[in-house]
Amino acid sequence: MRPLFSETSVAAVRLIVAVIFSVATIFIDSRFDALTLVRQAIKTGLWPVEQLSFLPGKLVGELIQWSQSQNLIVQRLESIALENQRLKTEQLKLHSLRAENAELRRLLGVKERVNERLLQAQIERLSNDPFIHRATINRGLLAGVMIGQPVISADGLVGQVVVTYPNTADVLMMTDATHHLPVQVTRTRERAIAVGVGRMDRIELRNLPDTVDIVPGDIIETSGLGGRFQPGIPVAEVKEVIRAPGQPFAWVVAEPLAPLARLSLVMVDLSKGGS
Amino acid sequence: MTFGLTWLLTLLLIAFPYPSFLLFVLPHFGYLYVTWWGLMRNYQLSMTLLLVSSLPVDVLYGTALGLHGLLFASIAYALTLLGPSIRQVNWLRQSTVIFVVLMVASAISYWVRTLTGQSPEFYILLLQALFSALFWSPIRWLYDFLAQYTRDSEVQR
Repeated sequence: MRPLFSETSVAAVRLIVAVIFSVATIFIDSRFDALTLVRQAIKTGLWPVEQLSFLPGKLVGELIQWSQSQNLIVQRLESIALENQRLKTEQLKLHSLRAENAELRRLLGVKERVNERLLQAQIERLSNDPFIHRATINRGLLAGVMIGQPVISADGLVGQVVVTYPNTADVLMMTDATHHLPVQVTRTRERAIAVGVGRMDRIELRNLPDTVDIVPGDIIETSGLGGRFQPGIPVAEVKEVIRAPGQPFAWVVAEPLAPLARLSLVMVDLSKGGS
Repeated sequence: MTFGLTWLLTLLLIAFPYPSFLLFVLPHFGYLYVTWWGLMRNYQLSMTLLLVSSLPVDVLYGTALGLHGLLFASIAYALTLLGPSIRQVNWLRQSTVIFVVLMVASAISYWVRTLTGQSPEFYILLLQALFSALFWSPIRWLYDFLAQYTRDSEVQR
Protein backbone atom coordinates (compact mmCIF):
# COMPACT_ATOMS: atom_id res chain seq x y z
CA MET A 1 0.00 0.00 0.00
CA ARG A 2 1.15 3.52 -0.72
CA PRO A 3 1.78 5.77 2.27
CA LEU A 4 -1.09 8.09 3.15
CA PHE A 5 0.63 11.34 4.11
CA SER A 6 4.35 11.51 3.48
CA GLU A 7 4.58 15.31 3.69
CA THR A 8 2.25 17.86 5.18
CA SER A 9 1.56 19.59 1.85
CA VAL A 10 0.90 16.29 0.09
CA ALA A 11 -1.31 15.31 2.99
CA ALA A 12 -3.31 18.53 2.66
CA VAL A 13 -3.76 18.00 -1.10
CA ARG A 14 -4.95 14.44 -0.53
CA LEU A 15 -7.33 15.62 2.16
CA ILE A 16 -8.77 18.26 -0.18
CA VAL A 17 -9.27 15.66 -2.94
CA ALA A 18 -10.94 13.29 -0.47
CA VAL A 19 -13.20 16.08 0.83
CA ILE A 20 -14.24 17.11 -2.70
CA PHE A 21 -14.97 13.47 -3.61
CA SER A 22 -16.94 12.86 -0.41
CA VAL A 23 -18.98 16.06 -0.62
CA ALA A 24 -19.83 15.32 -4.28
CA THR A 25 -20.93 11.79 -3.33
CA ILE A 26 -23.06 13.08 -0.44
CA PHE A 27 -24.68 15.68 -2.71
CA ILE A 28 -25.45 13.18 -5.50
CA ASP A 29 -26.78 10.54 -3.07
CA SER A 30 -28.96 12.82 -0.97
CA ARG A 31 -30.33 15.09 -3.68
CA PHE A 32 -30.71 12.86 -6.73
CA ASP A 33 -30.92 9.28 -5.38
CA ALA A 34 -28.56 8.41 -8.23
CA LEU A 35 -26.42 5.98 -6.25
CA THR A 36 -29.10 3.41 -5.41
CA LEU A 37 -27.38 0.81 -7.60
CA VAL A 38 -24.07 1.36 -5.78
CA ARG A 39 -25.87 1.03 -2.43
CA GLN A 40 -27.60 -2.16 -3.61
CA ALA A 41 -24.31 -3.66 -4.81
CA ILE A 42 -22.51 -2.86 -1.53
CA LYS A 43 -25.39 -4.17 0.58
CA THR A 44 -25.48 -7.41 -1.42
CA GLY A 45 -21.73 -7.79 -0.82
CA LEU A 46 -22.28 -7.18 2.90
CA TRP A 47 -24.80 -10.01 3.17
CA PRO A 48 -22.29 -12.56 4.66
CA VAL A 49 -21.05 -9.97 7.17
CA GLU A 50 -24.60 -9.19 8.28
CA GLN A 51 -25.50 -12.87 8.61
CA LEU A 52 -22.35 -13.42 10.68
CA SER A 53 -23.25 -10.50 12.95
CA PHE A 54 -26.72 -12.01 13.59
CA LEU A 55 -25.19 -15.31 14.66
CA PRO A 56 -24.58 -14.50 18.39
CA GLY A 57 -28.15 -13.22 18.78
CA LYS A 58 -29.57 -16.29 17.06
CA LEU A 59 -27.45 -18.60 19.21
CA VAL A 60 -28.62 -16.89 22.40
CA GLY A 61 -32.23 -17.18 21.20
CA GLU A 62 -31.80 -20.88 20.50
CA LEU A 63 -30.19 -21.37 23.89
CA ILE A 64 -33.07 -19.62 25.66
CA GLN A 65 -35.61 -21.74 23.77
CA TRP A 66 -33.70 -24.90 24.60
CA SER A 67 -33.47 -24.03 28.28
CA GLN A 68 -37.20 -23.34 28.62
CA SER A 69 -38.98 -26.17 30.37
CA GLN A 70 -41.59 -28.23 28.56
CA ASN A 71 -44.27 -26.90 30.91
CA LEU A 72 -43.61 -23.36 29.79
CA ILE A 73 -43.81 -24.37 26.15
CA VAL A 74 -47.11 -26.22 26.73
CA GLN A 75 -48.51 -23.15 28.54
CA ARG A 76 -47.43 -20.91 25.69
CA LEU A 77 -48.99 -23.25 23.12
CA GLU A 78 -52.27 -23.22 25.06
CA SER A 79 -52.33 -19.43 25.17
CA ILE A 80 -51.54 -19.27 21.44
CA ALA A 81 -54.40 -21.74 20.73
CA LEU A 82 -56.79 -19.56 22.76
CA GLU A 83 -55.61 -16.43 20.95
CA ASN A 84 -56.07 -18.24 17.65
CA GLN A 85 -59.68 -19.13 18.55
CA ARG A 86 -60.37 -15.50 19.45
CA LEU A 87 -58.87 -14.26 16.20
CA LYS A 88 -60.94 -16.76 14.19
CA THR A 89 -64.10 -15.44 15.80
CA GLU A 90 -62.98 -11.88 15.06
CA GLN A 91 -62.29 -12.90 11.46
CA LEU A 92 -65.84 -14.23 11.07
CA LYS A 93 -67.15 -10.85 12.24
CA LEU A 94 -64.76 -9.13 9.86
CA HIS A 95 -66.02 -11.21 6.91
CA SER A 96 -69.60 -10.19 7.56
CA LEU A 97 -68.58 -6.53 8.06
CA ARG A 98 -66.56 -6.60 4.85
CA ALA A 99 -69.53 -8.00 2.90
CA GLU A 100 -71.79 -5.37 4.45
CA ASN A 101 -69.30 -2.63 3.62
CA ALA A 102 -68.99 -3.81 0.02
CA GLU A 103 -72.80 -3.83 -0.33
CA LEU A 104 -73.08 -0.30 1.09
CA ARG A 105 -70.31 0.93 -1.20
CA ARG A 106 -72.10 -0.67 -4.18
CA LEU A 107 -75.37 1.03 -3.20
CA LEU A 108 -73.60 4.38 -2.82
CA GLY A 109 -71.75 3.92 -6.08
CA VAL A 110 -68.35 4.22 -4.39
CA LYS A 111 -65.46 2.27 -5.86
CA GLU A 112 -64.44 -0.72 -3.74
CA ARG A 113 -61.12 -0.55 -1.99
CA VAL A 114 -58.39 -2.77 -3.30
CA ASN A 115 -57.79 -5.73 -1.01
CA GLU A 116 -54.39 -5.70 0.62
CA ARG A 117 -51.85 -8.35 -0.33
CA LEU A 118 -49.75 -8.54 2.77
CA LEU A 119 -46.35 -10.17 2.96
CA GLN A 120 -45.03 -11.10 6.37
CA ALA A 121 -41.46 -10.06 7.06
CA GLN A 122 -39.12 -10.05 9.99
CA ILE A 123 -37.03 -7.07 11.09
CA GLU A 124 -33.43 -8.21 11.00
CA ARG A 125 -31.79 -5.11 12.37
CA LEU A 126 -32.35 -1.45 13.09
CA SER A 127 -29.78 1.10 12.01
CA ASN A 128 -27.21 1.64 14.76
CA ASP A 129 -27.09 5.35 13.92
CA PRO A 130 -29.15 7.16 16.58
CA PHE A 131 -30.49 9.71 14.06
CA ILE A 132 -31.51 7.32 11.31
CA HIS A 133 -34.67 5.31 11.81
CA ARG A 134 -34.30 2.57 9.27
CA ALA A 135 -34.95 -1.14 9.63
CA THR A 136 -33.77 -3.98 7.43
CA ILE A 137 -36.41 -6.64 6.76
CA ASN A 138 -35.75 -10.15 5.51
CA ARG A 139 -37.82 -9.83 2.31
CA GLY A 140 -36.63 -8.16 -0.85
CA LEU A 141 -37.03 -7.91 -4.59
CA LEU A 142 -37.31 -11.69 -4.98
CA ALA A 143 -40.39 -11.71 -2.72
CA GLY A 144 -42.01 -8.86 -4.66
CA VAL A 145 -41.06 -6.00 -2.35
CA MET A 146 -40.70 -2.67 -4.14
CA ILE A 147 -39.70 0.86 -3.20
CA GLY A 148 -42.60 2.89 -1.79
CA GLN A 149 -44.64 0.01 -0.42
CA PRO A 150 -46.12 0.65 3.04
CA VAL A 151 -44.98 -1.46 5.98
CA ILE A 152 -47.42 -2.04 8.82
CA SER A 153 -47.52 -3.99 12.07
CA ALA A 154 -50.37 -5.41 14.12
CA ASP A 155 -50.63 -2.09 15.99
CA GLY A 156 -50.29 0.40 13.17
CA LEU A 157 -48.14 1.92 10.47
CA VAL A 158 -44.38 1.42 10.60
CA GLY A 159 -43.10 3.22 7.51
CA GLN A 160 -42.28 2.54 3.89
CA VAL A 161 -39.74 0.64 1.82
CA VAL A 162 -36.98 2.95 0.56
CA VAL A 163 -34.30 0.63 -0.81
CA THR A 164 -34.70 -2.93 -2.03
CA TYR A 165 -32.08 -5.65 -2.36
CA PRO A 166 -32.52 -9.20 -3.68
CA ASN A 167 -33.27 -10.75 -0.28
CA THR A 168 -33.74 -7.79 2.03
CA ALA A 169 -35.17 -4.27 2.01
CA ASP A 170 -34.63 -1.08 3.99
CA VAL A 171 -37.70 0.43 5.62
CA LEU A 172 -37.74 4.11 6.51
CA MET A 173 -39.75 4.43 9.70
CA MET A 174 -42.29 7.22 10.05
CA THR A 175 -40.32 8.68 12.97
CA ASP A 176 -37.26 9.42 10.81
CA ALA A 177 -36.67 13.15 10.46
CA THR A 178 -36.88 12.92 6.66
CA HIS A 179 -40.28 11.15 6.65
CA HIS A 180 -43.52 13.02 5.93
CA LEU A 181 -46.90 11.32 6.01
CA PRO A 182 -50.37 12.58 5.00
CA VAL A 183 -52.72 11.80 7.91
CA GLN A 184 -56.15 12.61 9.29
CA VAL A 185 -57.66 12.56 12.74
CA THR A 186 -60.09 9.64 12.94
CA ARG A 187 -62.67 11.53 15.02
CA THR A 188 -62.83 14.82 13.10
CA ARG A 189 -61.32 13.95 9.66
CA GLU A 190 -58.98 16.90 10.14
CA ARG A 191 -56.10 16.50 7.67
CA ALA A 192 -52.42 17.20 8.31
CA ILE A 193 -48.90 16.11 7.53
CA ALA A 194 -47.16 14.05 10.21
CA VAL A 195 -43.41 14.53 10.32
CA GLY A 196 -40.82 12.46 12.10
CA VAL A 197 -38.51 14.25 14.52
CA GLY A 198 -35.84 11.57 14.94
CA ARG A 199 -37.32 10.06 18.10
CA MET A 200 -38.89 6.60 18.10
CA ASP A 201 -41.70 7.68 20.43
CA ARG A 202 -42.76 10.87 18.71
CA ILE A 203 -44.18 12.35 15.52
CA GLU A 204 -45.53 15.86 15.10
CA LEU A 205 -48.31 17.62 13.22
CA ARG A 206 -47.11 21.16 12.62
CA ASN A 207 -48.66 24.43 11.55
CA LEU A 208 -52.29 23.49 12.16
CA PRO A 209 -54.88 26.28 12.57
CA ASP A 210 -55.09 27.38 16.20
CA THR A 211 -58.78 26.47 16.26
CA VAL A 212 -58.19 22.89 15.14
CA ASP A 213 -60.37 20.30 16.89
CA ILE A 214 -57.81 17.81 18.15
CA VAL A 215 -57.54 16.64 21.75
CA PRO A 216 -55.14 14.29 23.54
CA GLY A 217 -56.25 10.70 23.04
CA ASP A 218 -57.37 11.19 19.42
CA ILE A 219 -56.19 8.55 16.98
CA ILE A 220 -54.38 9.64 13.84
CA GLU A 221 -54.66 7.48 10.72
CA THR A 222 -53.40 7.66 7.15
CA SER A 223 -55.54 9.87 4.93
CA GLY A 224 -54.64 8.14 1.68
CA LEU A 225 -53.69 11.45 0.05
CA GLY A 226 -50.75 11.03 -2.27
CA GLY A 227 -51.82 7.48 -3.05
CA ARG A 228 -48.91 5.81 -1.31
CA PHE A 229 -50.74 4.50 1.76
CA GLN A 230 -54.21 2.99 2.04
CA PRO A 231 -56.52 5.33 3.95
CA GLY A 232 -57.43 4.32 7.49
CA ILE A 233 -54.21 2.69 8.70
CA PRO A 234 -53.79 3.67 12.39
CA VAL A 235 -50.65 5.76 12.87
CA ALA A 236 -50.41 7.37 16.29
CA GLU A 237 -52.22 8.63 19.36
CA VAL A 238 -52.27 12.35 20.15
CA LYS A 239 -50.42 13.07 23.38
CA GLU A 240 -50.28 16.85 23.49
CA VAL A 241 -51.74 19.82 21.65
CA ILE A 242 -49.58 22.91 21.99
CA ARG A 243 -51.30 26.28 21.48
CA ALA A 244 -48.88 29.11 22.10
CA PRO A 245 -50.64 32.38 23.04
CA GLY A 246 -50.46 34.92 20.23
CA GLN A 247 -49.35 32.35 17.67
CA PRO A 248 -51.61 31.52 14.71
CA PHE A 249 -50.65 27.86 14.55
CA ALA A 250 -51.08 24.88 16.85
CA TRP A 251 -48.61 22.05 17.24
CA VAL A 252 -49.60 18.43 17.89
CA VAL A 253 -47.34 15.81 19.43
CA ALA A 254 -48.32 12.17 18.94
CA GLU A 255 -46.91 8.79 19.87
CA PRO A 256 -46.77 6.04 17.21
CA LEU A 257 -49.10 3.13 17.98
CA ALA A 258 -46.60 0.55 16.74
CA PRO A 259 -43.75 -0.07 19.21
CA LEU A 260 -41.10 0.78 16.63
CA ALA A 261 -38.05 0.08 18.80
CA ARG A 262 -39.26 -3.38 19.80
CA LEU A 263 -40.86 -4.64 16.58
CA SER A 264 -39.89 -7.97 15.13
CA LEU A 265 -42.71 -8.95 12.75
CA VAL A 266 -44.15 -6.59 10.14
CA MET A 267 -46.27 -6.79 6.98
CA VAL A 268 -45.43 -5.28 3.61
CA ASP A 269 -48.47 -4.14 1.62
CA LEU A 270 -47.71 -5.58 -1.82
CA SER A 271 -50.97 -4.27 -3.32
CA LYS A 272 -49.46 -0.80 -3.45
CA GLY A 273 -47.32 -0.51 -6.55
CA GLY A 274 -43.74 0.46 -5.94
CA SER A 275 -41.81 3.14 -7.76
CA MET B 1 -4.18 -8.88 5.22
CA THR B 2 -4.16 -6.78 8.41
CA PHE B 3 -6.21 -4.12 6.66
CA GLY B 4 -8.78 -6.66 5.47
CA LEU B 5 -9.10 -8.30 8.89
CA THR B 6 -9.44 -5.06 10.84
CA TRP B 7 -11.95 -3.80 8.28
CA LEU B 8 -14.03 -6.99 8.53
CA LEU B 9 -13.97 -6.86 12.31
CA THR B 10 -15.11 -3.22 12.19
CA LEU B 11 -17.97 -4.06 9.82
CA LEU B 12 -19.03 -6.92 12.10
CA LEU B 13 -19.00 -4.63 15.15
CA ILE B 14 -21.07 -2.05 13.25
CA ALA B 15 -23.56 -4.56 11.80
CA PHE B 16 -24.20 -6.29 15.13
CA PRO B 17 -27.87 -5.73 16.12
CA TYR B 18 -27.49 -3.91 19.45
CA PRO B 19 -30.53 -3.24 21.64
CA SER B 20 -31.88 0.25 20.97
CA PHE B 21 -31.23 1.47 24.55
CA LEU B 22 -27.49 0.92 23.99
CA LEU B 23 -27.32 3.19 20.93
CA PHE B 24 -26.42 6.28 22.96
CA VAL B 25 -23.52 4.66 24.79
CA LEU B 26 -22.05 2.80 21.83
CA PRO B 27 -18.73 3.94 20.41
CA HIS B 28 -18.47 4.60 16.70
CA PHE B 29 -16.44 1.58 15.63
CA GLY B 30 -15.71 3.17 12.25
CA TYR B 31 -14.01 6.12 13.97
CA LEU B 32 -11.92 3.76 16.09
CA TYR B 33 -10.86 1.78 13.03
CA VAL B 34 -9.60 4.96 11.30
CA THR B 35 -8.04 6.13 14.56
CA TRP B 36 -6.00 2.94 14.78
CA TRP B 37 -4.86 3.19 11.17
CA GLY B 38 -4.24 6.93 11.35
CA LEU B 39 -2.29 6.68 14.58
CA MET B 40 -0.50 3.34 14.45
CA ARG B 41 -0.16 2.48 10.75
CA ASN B 42 -0.54 5.70 8.78
CA TYR B 43 2.52 4.83 6.66
CA GLN B 44 0.58 1.81 5.29
CA LEU B 45 -2.79 3.42 4.60
CA SER B 46 -3.87 4.88 1.26
CA MET B 47 -6.55 7.54 0.91
CA THR B 48 -8.33 5.66 -1.91
CA LEU B 49 -8.58 2.55 0.25
CA LEU B 50 -9.88 4.65 3.13
CA LEU B 51 -12.61 6.21 0.97
CA VAL B 52 -13.63 2.87 -0.55
CA SER B 53 -13.71 1.17 2.85
CA SER B 54 -15.99 3.92 4.20
CA LEU B 55 -18.80 3.18 1.72
CA PRO B 56 -19.98 -0.07 3.41
CA VAL B 57 -20.01 1.83 6.71
CA ASP B 58 -22.39 4.37 5.13
CA VAL B 59 -24.60 1.53 3.88
CA LEU B 60 -24.68 -0.21 7.28
CA TYR B 61 -25.57 2.99 9.13
CA GLY B 62 -27.98 4.13 6.41
CA THR B 63 -26.30 7.53 6.06
CA ALA B 64 -25.70 9.35 2.77
CA LEU B 65 -22.89 7.75 0.79
CA GLY B 66 -19.72 9.77 1.29
CA LEU B 67 -20.44 10.99 4.83
CA HIS B 68 -18.08 8.53 6.48
CA GLY B 69 -15.51 9.08 3.71
CA LEU B 70 -15.41 12.75 4.67
CA LEU B 71 -15.18 11.97 8.39
CA PHE B 72 -12.59 9.22 7.96
CA ALA B 73 -10.38 11.46 5.81
CA SER B 74 -10.56 14.28 8.37
CA ILE B 75 -9.78 11.97 11.31
CA ALA B 76 -6.92 10.26 9.46
CA TYR B 77 -5.44 13.64 8.47
CA ALA B 78 -5.59 15.03 12.01
CA LEU B 79 -4.19 11.90 13.61
CA THR B 80 -1.42 11.57 11.05
CA LEU B 81 -0.25 15.06 11.96
CA LEU B 82 -0.59 14.39 15.69
CA GLY B 83 0.59 10.77 15.49
CA PRO B 84 4.30 11.08 16.36
CA SER B 85 3.60 13.15 19.47
CA ILE B 86 0.85 11.00 20.97
CA ARG B 87 1.79 7.49 19.89
CA GLN B 88 4.06 6.95 22.89
CA VAL B 89 1.98 8.59 25.64
CA ASN B 90 -0.26 6.64 28.03
CA TRP B 91 -3.77 5.54 27.09
CA LEU B 92 -5.50 8.30 29.06
CA ARG B 93 -3.69 11.08 27.20
CA GLN B 94 -4.23 9.29 23.90
CA SER B 95 -7.95 8.97 24.65
CA THR B 96 -8.14 12.68 25.50
CA VAL B 97 -6.54 13.72 22.20
CA ILE B 98 -8.74 11.25 20.31
CA PHE B 99 -11.81 12.69 22.04
CA VAL B 100 -10.90 16.18 20.81
CA VAL B 101 -10.31 14.93 17.25
CA LEU B 102 -13.57 12.96 17.25
CA MET B 103 -15.42 16.01 18.59
CA VAL B 104 -14.28 17.95 15.52
CA ALA B 105 -15.41 15.01 13.35
CA SER B 106 -18.77 15.07 15.18
CA ALA B 107 -19.15 18.76 14.39
CA ILE B 108 -18.57 18.00 10.67
CA SER B 109 -21.04 15.11 10.92
CA TYR B 110 -23.62 17.40 12.56
CA TRP B 111 -23.21 19.99 9.82
CA VAL B 112 -23.54 17.46 6.95
CA ARG B 113 -26.49 15.67 8.57
CA THR B 114 -28.33 18.97 9.03
CA LEU B 115 -27.73 19.80 5.37
CA THR B 116 -29.14 16.42 4.29
CA GLY B 117 -32.43 16.90 6.16
CA GLN B 118 -31.82 15.07 9.43
CA SER B 119 -32.29 16.72 12.80
CA PRO B 120 -29.35 15.46 14.86
CA GLU B 121 -28.79 16.46 18.44
CA PHE B 122 -25.21 17.53 19.02
CA TYR B 123 -24.97 16.15 22.54
CA ILE B 124 -25.62 12.62 21.21
CA LEU B 125 -22.78 13.03 18.72
CA LEU B 126 -20.59 14.25 21.58
CA LEU B 127 -21.55 11.24 23.68
CA GLN B 128 -20.59 9.03 20.75
CA ALA B 129 -17.18 10.75 20.55
CA LEU B 130 -16.73 10.38 24.31
CA PHE B 131 -17.55 6.67 24.34
CA SER B 132 -15.37 6.10 21.28
CA ALA B 133 -12.45 7.70 23.12
CA LEU B 134 -13.17 5.58 26.21
CA PHE B 135 -13.26 2.42 24.10
CA TRP B 136 -10.00 3.31 22.37
CA SER B 137 -7.80 1.27 24.66
CA PRO B 138 -9.56 -2.13 24.33
CA ILE B 139 -10.13 -1.64 20.61
CA ARG B 140 -6.47 -0.75 20.11
CA TRP B 141 -5.52 -3.91 21.97
CA LEU B 142 -7.86 -5.94 19.70
CA TYR B 143 -6.45 -4.46 16.47
CA ASP B 144 -2.86 -4.83 17.76
CA PHE B 145 -3.62 -8.48 18.44
CA LEU B 146 -4.99 -8.94 14.90
CA ALA B 147 -1.95 -7.18 13.41
CA GLN B 148 0.38 -9.36 15.46
CA TYR B 149 -1.52 -12.49 14.40
CA THR B 150 -1.34 -11.64 10.69
CA ARG B 151 2.36 -10.76 10.97
CA ASP B 152 3.07 -14.09 12.68
CA SER B 153 1.12 -15.95 9.97
CA GLU B 154 3.10 -14.18 7.24
CA VAL B 155 6.41 -14.96 8.95
CA GLN B 156 5.47 -18.62 9.29
CA ARG B 157 4.64 -18.77 5.60
